[in-house]
Amino acid sequence: MKAPLTWLKEFVELPADASIEKVGRAIADAGFEIASIEDGVIDFEITANRPDCLSIRGLAREAATAMQVQGSKGPGVQGSKGPEVQESKGPEVRVSIESPLCGRFALAMADVTIGPSPAWLADRLTACGIRPINNIVDVTNYVMLETGQPLHAYDAAKVRGSRLVARMAHAGEQLTTLDGQDRKLSASMLVIADDGGAVGVAGVMGGASSEVSLSTTRIALEAAWFQPATVRATSKTLGLKTEAAIRFERGADIEGPPAAIDRALALLEDIGAGRRASATSDEYPSPVPARTLTLRADRLARLLGDDVPADDVTRILSSLGFELGALPNGWQVRVPSWRVDVSREADLIEEVGRHWGVNRVPAAFPALRRSPQPSDPGIERTRRLGRLLCGAGLQEAVTFTFMEAAAAEPFAPPAGLVTIANPLSEKFAVLRPSLLPGLLDSLTYNRRRGQESVRLFEAGATCTPAGESRHVAWVMCGARSDHWSDAAAQVDVFDALGIAELLGAAWNLPLTTEPTTDAAGFMPGRMAALMTDRRIGVAGQLLPALTEARGLPPGVVVVAGEMELSALTGMGAAPERVAPLPKFPAVVRDISLLVDATLSAATIRATIRQPHGASTMQLSAIREFDRYQGKGIPDGQVSLAYRLTFRDPGRTLTDREVDEAMATIIAALQSDCGATIRGL
Amino acid sequence: MLAARVLVSTGLPDGATVVGSGYRLVQCRHMSAPSVDDLRTRFQASLDAARSAADLKALRDEFLSRKNGLVTALVKSIATATPEEKRSIGAASNALKQEIEAALTTREAEVAASAPPKDAVDVTLPGRLPRLGRRHPLMQVRERVEDIFMAMGYQVLEGPELEDDWHNFEALNMPAEHPARDMQDTLYLATPIPGADGGRAATLLRTHTSGMQIRYMESHEPPVRVIAPGRVYRRDNFDATHTPMFTQVEGLVVDERISLGDLRGTLNGFAEQFFGGKVATRFRPSFFPYTEPSAELDVECQGCAGKGCPLCKHTGWIEILGCGMVHPAVFEAVGYDPERYTGFAFGMGIERLALRLYGVDDIRMFYENDLRFLEQVAL
Repeated sequence: MKAPLTWLKEFVELPADASIEKVGRAIADAGFEIASIEDGVIDFEITANRPDCLSIRGLAREAATAMQVQGSKGPGVQGSKGPEVQESKGPEVRVSIESPLCGRFALAMADVTIGPSPAWLADRLTACGIRPINNIVDVTNYVMLETGQPLHAYDAAKVRGSRLVARMAHAGEQLTTLDGQDRKLSASMLVIADDGGAVGVAGVMGGASSEVSLSTTRIALEAAWFQPATVRATSKTLGLKTEAAIRFERGADIEGPPAAIDRALALLEDIGAGRRASATSDEYPSPVPARTLTLRADRLARLLGDDVPADDVTRILSSLGFELGALPNGWQVRVPSWRVDVSREADLIEEVGRHWGVNRVPAAFPALRRSPQPSDPGIERTRRLGRLLCGAGLQEAVTFTFMEAAAAEPFAPPAGLVTIANPLSEKFAVLRPSLLPGLLDSLTYNRRRGQESVRLFEAGATCTPAGESRHVAWVMCGARSDHWSDAAAQVDVFDALGIAELLGAAWNLPLTTEPTTDAAGFMPGRMAALMTDRRIGVAGQLLPALTEARGLPPGVVVVAGEMELSALTGMGAAPERVAPLPKFPAVVRDISLLVDATLSAATIRATIRQPHGASTMQLSAIREFDRYQGKGIPDGQVSLAYRLTFRDPGRTLTDREVDEAMATIIAALQSDCGATIRGL
Repeated sequence: MLAARVLVSTGLPDGATVVGSGYRLVQCRHMSAPSVDDLRTRFQASLDAARSAADLKALRDEFLSRKNGLVTALVKSIATATPEEKRSIGAASNALKQEIEAALTTREAEVAASAPPKDAVDVTLPGRLPRLGRRHPLMQVRERVEDIFMAMGYQVLEGPELEDDWHNFEALNMPAEHPARDMQDTLYLATPIPGADGGRAATLLRTHTSGMQIRYMESHEPPVRVIAPGRVYRRDNFDATHTPMFTQVEGLVVDERISLGDLRGTLNGFAEQFFGGKVATRFRPSFFPYTEPSAELDVECQGCAGKGCPLCKHTGWIEILGCGMVHPAVFEAVGYDPERYTGFAFGMGIERLALRLYGVDDIRMFYENDLRFLEQVAL
């Protein structure tokens, strides 16, 4: 709301030495931020609860209270009837209300001479950001800025019939609004209509058919009150945000319409643009009684944490237009009709607080009355996860939760994607089903800026039609190491699996990997399901067609993994009891064998793990320590070497026992895996 | 001294070793040879300057070479000396020869002992540095804020990012068609999805983390002392100062005698800890539907110490959060008695704090994940 200082001064007796900055600061300190001060005009940001301050009068009231000076009545105030009614010679228009969404409908006729506004008036409108049009329209806008009450002038000659009615639009009804747009109206919209149909969308915009033009000689001047929610809904549906709609949807002063008409007619006369031609007809079927609230002194002190002197309470509230009556422990407060935001005691306390000064309230500190409660375990999990993955060489990324459909689709579950009904752009149209598309795009972004090796992770929410869930995901590309001594090996699937295993180790999960074929976005033959007692994630190499589609050059291997955060539980709870250290030595045996290259490591491990003999000895560890294919090894075969560790907790194992166990294992490998033993 | 003069005239510095440098020592019958003392002094200076085995070898050649060593020459000069000279020069030159021999042997042994072994490595080459990732700056700032409030006894909550209308709006005194909903232009789901914990279906992306506080109050009795960090969403442009997604930390304290003074003290304390040391703050009245009274907190601009600069748009102040006393309608919505309980709430944007902290002027940098930016951030 732009307020010229000269205009404010018509309504408040500002000290002679009050600079525009000082006045602006005083109003700002009461809760109206300054957007700018330029050329004698202060632009205030008006919060949605204060439609009364979308007016010069309202801001003047705040200035008077903040600077502790008198408000002045200003020109054309309530109570003055305006010019006398002249003998009526033209058509008369009456009003009626057919919907409770219109709370008040006032209208008066005036005979007018259309022309440009005087310079002072046009200049003020321009200063306030409103384009002058002609003296009639300008006066309605001027009075709206001054009082906060929107007005509308109809060309009386163009009104069909002799009645304007506030009613709901008929289904299929159409109207060309003042901006020249043809609007389709719906039955939920309130309109002003004459005998021929809608002539305006109530509280939003008038119609073109009855617009004031150069040939207009008589106007019907309307000031009304419409229910805020209906104006807001209609304005939103039509995509029409007008000065009138902004005021009505926040709540206009229901006592305002007749006074605004009087003020407008007085101004028309003042500038020689017209004269009143009828009394104001004022439909106000259910007058709204003034709200009366109780303000308790102890409640005021308790909520603010400060004792505001009673004199200051009455000074502040009276200056803002509240009427106070004394009560034994407080005040009876009558709320002025324009203060639509004040409906309970807390609102009055705010009024006192903001003009008393929040910064004057002594700073205190709330006492703890019980021991602090533990935070959500997810908070500590995210912190540990971050530390762990950063230590493992992954950089944390933060990517958007929404993205373009093309980025998300390759990772979509069979049930599809969750889409946003009103996205700002197609770039943010769907919710991510996985963290991987966002990380892949970030990886690509860096790769295109010369980063050869990129490793990123993110923890956050994902969304599918089944609901929201939290994941952690990682992507990697480039050299495994950039040290001068290392061969230029690139990351591969096992780097992605390693991160999953790291998380498994950190949270003590019984994590295993299984080949899978249904991990969206991953390469067939290079994707694994991450398993505990259930599937908790996937890891592998991303599809080259996908990485290329997102902008990576061909040949760049991107490996990735993703896991449900809910799988990472337990860490941070009481530590598990540890097992005693072994008292007896272990026996270690290596075995090397040839098997079919397609046989999985999991199968061989499972074969070795089969019960091996009746002895009580235990196979405590199996480690694959060499794997070779190529020269010297038959086609389609692979040479594997395993190190087996045997240990019994109660005694030292004999060589003979271990030999027997090895014989059983070898027999199982030969029969179940078709293995050829190359050495022991 | 003729030879010496010849050398000087060719511009060689005094005391330069001429042997092996392309010059030839000229034997001159009438020349008077350098004295034993001169040679000793000269040798000592050269020995002190010798650093390597190669230096010592050159020194040995210069003085002791059988063919043209300086000491050798001195010994040879005995042949032309007078009988009286012969005796004294002979003894002294032999002594000098042995002295030099011994000194060289000692130094050669010392140098050999200090030479690096054959398998020595060049320790000035870069080490094998484990890769090191960093937490994202937004996460670091968020955790810093969490830490400050946890130390004040706050409990940190987590909650769903997809919300229902009740938890995001209705319970917060923002009924449908409330104009304040415009302040938080909302992104809606095309189709509702199952909500958190089997509750109401989620229909929108939360516009603030207040929903978590409502959930908490619905299931806990006061006293309440919680913060709710997380991502929030607004239907906003994506430019240097706006993003459709940002990170918020909201706080809520409810008890029997909580006042605006408690809010001031708490947030002043936060500002001091976050910005380090005494920092001037300013509360300005404002409006939020869920608090009454409402305020915004400004801190003195760190860039100009309150004098005014482009960072603070020449006001000397930077707004960091919104706050206020919990609206009684919110307590009514969650079943708290607004006569018995009062409380305060606050909410801050992590991006806004991070912009100040890192001196970044484009909020988009936090979402591009450019390693050149992220790797500058301290761990």
